[in-house]
This record gives sequence, C-alpha cells and structure tokens, in this order.
Amino acid sequence: MVLFTLRKVAVLIGTMLGLAALTFIITNVAPGDPARLVAGPDATNDMVETIRREYGLDRPLVEQFVIYMGDLLTGDLGRSIVSTRSVMEELARYVPATLELVLVAMTLGILIGVPFGMLSAVYKDRFIDQVTRILSISGVALPAFWFGILLQLFFAVRLELLPVSGRLPLTALAPEPITHLLLVDTLLRGDFETFREALSHIILPAIVLSFPCLASILRVNRAEMIEVLQSDYIVAARAHGIDSRRIVMLYALKNALLPTIAMIGLRFGWMLGSTVLVETVFDWPGIGLYAVSSALASDFKPVVGVTLVIGFLFMITNMLVDLAYAWIDPRLRSAR
Amino acid sequence: MRNWIYGVAAASLMVGMLQAGPAEAFERVEGRKVVVFGGRQAIPVLDPHVRYDWSTRMMQQAVYDALVKYEGNPAEIKPWLAERWETSEDGKTWTFHLTGNAKFHNGDPVDAEAIRYSFERGLKLNKGVAWMLKDFLTPENIEVVDARTIRFKLNSPYSAFLSFLPWWYVVNPKEVKANEVDGDYGQKWLTDHAAGSGPFKLKRWEPNVLYEVEAVADYWKGWPQGEANRPGGVIYRIIREPAAQKASLQRGEADIVEGLTPDDYVQMARQRGVTIQDYPGMTTFSIKFNTQQGPTADKNLRKAIAHALDYDGLVQIYNGAAKLQTSPFPDAIRGHISVPSVPRKDLAKAKEFLAKSQHPQGGVTLEYYHVAGLEEARRIGLLLLDNLAPLNIKVDLRPEQWPNMVAKGAKVETSPAMTSVFVTPISTDPDAVAYQYHPNSHGQYFAMSFYNNPDVTAKIDTARRTSDWNERAKLYAEIQTQIVEDQPEVFGMLQNRRWAHRDYLKGFVFSPVRFTGEVDLYPLWIDAK
Repeated sequence: MVLFTLRKVAVLIGTMLGLAALTFIITNVAPGDPARLVAGPDATNDMVETIRREYGLDRPLVEQFVIYMGDLLTGDLGRSIVSTRSVMEELARYVPATLELVLVAMTLGILIGVPFGMLSAVYKDRFIDQVTRILSISGVALPAFWFGILLQLFFAVRLELLPVSGRLPLTALAPEPITHLLLVDTLLRGDFETFREALSHIILPAIVLSFPCLASILRVNRAEMIEVLQSDYIVAARAHGIDSRRIVMLYALKNALLPTIAMIGLRFGWMLGSTVLVETVFDWPGIGLYAVSSALASDFKPVVGVTLVIGFLFMITNMLVDLAYAWIDPRLRSAR
Repeated sequence: MRNWIYGVAAASLMVGMLQAGPAEAFERVEGRKVVVFGGRQAIPVLDPHVRYDWSTRMMQQAVYDALVKYEGNPAEIKPWLAERWETSEDGKTWTFHLTGNAKFHNGDPVDAEAIRYSFERGLKLNKGVAWMLKDFLTPENIEVVDARTIRFKLNSPYSAFLSFLPWWYVVNPKEVKANEVDGDYGQKWLTDHAAGSGPFKLKRWEPNVLYEVEAVADYWKGWPQGEANRPGGVIYRIIREPAAQKASLQRGEADIVEGLTPDDYVQMARQRGVTIQDYPGMTTFSIKFNTQQGPTADKNLRKAIAHALDYDGLVQIYNGAAKLQTSPFPDAIRGHISVPSVPRKDLAKAKEFLAKSQHPQGGVTLEYYHVAGLEEARRIGLLLLDNLAPLNIKVDLRPEQWPNMVAKGAKVETSPAMTSVFVTPISTDPDAVAYQYHPNSHGQYFAMSFYNNPDVTAKIDTARRTSDWNERAKLYAEIQTQIVEDQPEVFGMLQNRRWAHRDYLKGFVFSPVRFTGEVDLYPLWIDAK
C-alpha cells in the first residue's frame, strides 16, 4: 500500500510539472500583450517597457520558462501582472470559496442523484422513473449560465427568497477563519446568523453547479442498478424470499456504486472547471472567476496557477476514488 | 421532451420578469445609509499613480483629492486643493495657491510638499498617469515656494497642462514613505491601501468582490448634500453580468448600476422606482482602417466604405441612445466643429469613390475585428457586411479578445483592415483627441489606423504649444477638417452614457469627461426613511 501511494505521488508530481509546462507554453505563445494592457490605453512605449522589465517579460520566452519552473519548484507561482499580488496569495484567497461551492454542489449531487437513480431503477418505467429521467435530461441539457440567470430571476427577484449573488451580504463580515470554508467556520464560531446568510448565498450557485453532476450520477446509478437487479444472484436472493428492501440496499446498491463512484471522481474535476461559468453568473469569488478575469486580461501566471490547482485537486480526487474502489470491492484490494 | 422543459423554463422566466416588484431596502452602517454601486469591472490596484480606468478612477476620486476637479456638464475645471492659480505669459510656468484647510485622513495638512512629492512619484514611477505630463515636466522643475504655494516649470508651453491635473491625485508623503519597501515608492502598500484627503476613506478591500469606503465626517471641503444627508459610505460591488445587475437593482441589492444592455435600459425605464440617467457621452465609436497596408491604404476605397454605411442603423443598434459623430472630435471637446463633409450614407457617391480606387469592381474581402462578446460591435459588423455588399466588398467578421486586438493593432504589419474601437478622451482639451492622430501615438489601440499626414502632425505639434486659444481653435478646426478628408476611419457615433438607479438615490451629477461607467460618488445620497 505504501509503494502504491508513493507511486501515485510520483505520478502526481510529474503530471503537475508537465501541466505547468504545457499551460505556461500555451498561455505565453497565445497572442496578446499583457504589459501594454496593464500599462493603460494611453501609455507610451517606454512606459510599457517599464512594466515588461518589472515582470521579466522583456526576457526571451525560454529564459522566462526556466525561471518560472525554477520558482515553481520552490512553491512560487509568480506575481499577477494585473493585481501585482503574489498568485499564491490570491489562490489562497479564492480556492476555499470554490472548494466550498464544489463540495456543497457535490454533496447535493450525491444526495439526490444516488437515491433517485436507485428509485428510478427499482420503479423502472413508472411515474418516479419518468420524473427522474426528465430531471437527468434537464441536468445535462440546460446551459449553466442560462439556468443560473433563470434561478436568480425566480428565487431572488420574483420570490425574494434568496440573494442574487455574492457569498455574504454586503455589510456582513466573515468570521475569523479556521478552515476558510464559511459554512464550517460560522458553525465552529457559533455565528449562526452568518451561517444562515452564507447558506442562503450558496444555495443557488450550488444547485446550478450540481445539476449536471446530479444528472450524470442519477443516470449511471440507474443504469447500473437496472443491470444488477437483473443479475442471477439478485434473482436467487428474491427466490429465497429475502426482503426486497434488503436486496436493493445491501446487495444491489453496493455493486452498482462502483461506476457511480468513478463518475463522481470525474464529475469533481468537471465541476471545478464549470465554476468558471457559475462563479461569473453569481459573482462567487472563487478560482473560476479569477481564471476568467485573468485570462481576459492575458494575465498568464494566475491562469497557470488555477490550472495547477484544478489539476491537483482532480488528481487527488482520482486517488481517493481509487482508494474507495479498493474499499468497496475486496477483489481489487487482493489484486493489489 | 426537451422542448417542453424549455417551454416551462421560458414561461417561468417571463412570469418572473413581468412580476418582479421593486424592493425598498438599503445597507446601513452605524445608522447612516450606504450607497451600493453595482459595476462590472474590478479594481485590482488603487494606487493613483499606477493605474486608471473608470472603476479605479471612481474610487481614486473618492479617497484622493487633486489640485483641481472636473465638474458638471459641460465639464469645467474647478478649484479644489488649489484655490487659485496663475500662468506666466510664455505659458511655461504655472503657480498654484493651496487652500489652507485641506487635510489628509490621518490629520496631516495637505501642503505644497505633498503636491511636489505626488507629482514626483507619478513621473518617476513612469506608469498610469505619467504619460500626460512626462514630455513637459521633470521632477526637478516642481518647486515648493512655501507651504501653500507650488510652482511647475514646464520644458515648453503645453496648453493642455491644466486639463490633465484633475487626474493627478495627491498622496500623503509621510504615510507612503513609512510603507516603502526597497524604494518602491510605496507601490505594494498603495495597491490596497490609501493615503489620501478625499471625501471618503478606505474601509474594506476584498479583491474581485467589493470595495467599501466610509464617508469622512469632517471632510475639509464639506458635503454638498449637507451633513444630515451625507451617506455613511459607498460600497462598490462587482456584478459582472448585465442580467445580475438588473436583478440586483430590482431586488434593491444595488442602488445604482452601470452595465445593462440597451434593451434592459429601455425595459428598466418602465419599472416603477427606477430612474435612468442618459447623457450624450464622449466615447467615440469608429471603424479604424489600416491606412498604410492592404486594400484600405487606398483613400478612395476608405471613402467608398464610409459612404456606403447606414449611419442610422448604427444609432438603432443602441435603441437610439447614441448620436452620430460630426467630426473626429467628440462634441464635448473644446474647439469641436461639425465638419460638413463628414460622410453619410450615399451609395452613388460610394460607387464613385470605388470607381476611382484600385479596386473599381470591388472584389476584395476585408477583415472586421471586434471585441469578442461585445454584441453591439458584432451587430455593427453585420451592418457593415450588408452595406458593403452592393460595392462587391466582402466583410470577414473576426471576434477577438481585447488584449489580442490591442496586440494586433500595435504594428502596422498586423493591424487589421478594419477594427471597431471605442475611445474615451482623458480630458476636454482638444489635444487629448488630436494627439491620437499623431505618429507618436502609433502602436496604441486608438492609433490602429497608423494615420500619418505631415501637415496635420505639424499643426497638432503647434497647437499643443500655443497658449492663445483663438489660434489653437483655428488650428484644431483645420485638423478636424483634414482628418475627415483623409478618412483614416469611419467616424461612427457617440454612444450615450447610461446608469440605472433607484429613485431614492439623489445627487447624481453627470460630467462627460468621466470614463464609461464612472460616477462622482461625492454628491450622492439616499433620500428615504
């Protein structure tokens, strides 16, 4: 198991370096002049040169690359040319917001997707199955930005139940951070009013982000459950008169969960990518929004930083999925 | 099935939009109401000598003061930190006398040394506002006469000097020096801190989320709305999507927004409790030709295109909230004249010019670059595509990210045949626009046409060094007429500046010299219980 973990970590480091190199090259060979953009619309050429020199953009690309990779090995992701701040500092500010949003969305996706997938399979072609199929098709088909605006108009403007955007009310102050996850920190600090506010702000973006994930989990779980419920050992269990609920919950669901877990792992990475749209619509101050604003300003170092964070989280999730596989399926454990 | 879902969703959307009612709630801090401004653009760096754009400058003006200030419509330069000033006869020496009661937020007096340091800092950093004065002023030529008098000795007369001073904000040298790191002139610290004397002081700085300023109770200049009515502060909240801006205004989560779509402004004007501010702006829309290379190097072809365009169609794209340009200079620029020969749609004339060009039968395809995602610019491209068809000229619409467009336009070899560009002059002095047509501006986005007429260049140089206004006005009239004759671009329209705000928000004062969404926050207040 130790060797297995070490091998995984080595692959992770190699992949991260490869990812950094690839993103650096792609973003730097793309057209655009960040120095001119930052210098301002009226800046003279020598003012643009001042900015270039300050950020090392006047050096050959190969030299910039070597310096960047060297800094990366020491944990330095460089400075944003737009905000002038360290990318690491900015990521530390934005990652928790995204992580919180993705975790809440993923929890919603699992809590709704798995049981409804199961129910849909058990009651195949009946009313509940039809409803969940509509839900799953909608989840895949609805564009996130459109769905987000729709929910804003309905729940925030029409019903005035939830806020339009943001993470907290304008004059509310976040509690002293412990985990940097607002929902967790407010609970740990016993600040239930701010917890309620934070929860009301996260509901709409989390629903929008979770919807496609929920749909995928639901569809995969339904399909797997249908297949498992038709297998011989389930038929045999039914023939032995074992209680249907016990068959579904204990024998069928566990076996149907393997592909669902794989799907959850994949969807986690997808969700991190999707935050770009959802965070823009809801002005959620996370890395998706940070990536968009940086990319639009040709601010390359934050773009590489965000890519690395998403890549890292994606790979960590996949490692956890591998471990979960081994936990659920003893055959995989013994194979290792 | 999918159609059915979309149908239900669309119906919900429509019902939601139709029945959305106004909300009446404001943010309050310590019993005073806080104005919430919803804007699309972040403010990455607050340092007044390092950056400026509309949102940055709006907040800079809230926390800093300058020697003079632009106010009103038409924009006039008013005394601010300087209560009066005089110029030498040769136009090279400017002496400013400071008001005696101005003080920084920490209580330090705003004296002549603070002014000297601020100008020195701006010039030495060579960023942001430096371009406005660096060719005419060196730090050594700024002289502190006494605590209340400062003198600037310019290298040569510069008639536009005063017009740039409202954007040179004054920082507190003591605070900045105390926060210097490795001789950086306090740049790192001033990114998200302030050392000013303005009507507001910085309270909260949450990058990419919101920026909050708190009203200075004993602001040295007083409050135009009266102490009883002054707000507790202003929150500038970033709301990027027009739909979210609209929803925030409807819900009462924002008191004023700046980034609605033209259709949304029309719709919101009908909404109870909402006021639309709608003024002719100074931002010009033009289609810049590459006048040095490719088919558009031919003046006759450029004139043919300019006469084929349906100008009324341009205005319709903005639902009528725009005015056609009658000169390369916006109307609010001093010395603007309506040039009689500025092209309007005339297909017969367009064909005449085409016949005189190197492409008498048309048969060329021209690229039209516009900012990706900017719907109005795309629709103008479609209009162009349609209008040039009778000339047998094809248009290749190319949406592009703004940084890439700027990069393309920086070199004559890569500058597109046609590029849609919006330009907002920095001041009301004609030099601010005229210099865009000077070869020294080549490489900048507003000079993508690489226009070069030695006669015009000489006149621009003379005009900026001439003190006598009558002489300058004559030169600028000739410059405008000649530029129209040379047709380096399609002179399009001046898009209106618009804001939507709740009707309880009072004190809004428009001034055309401000940038796109920029508002003077100082006189705003909320008139409601």
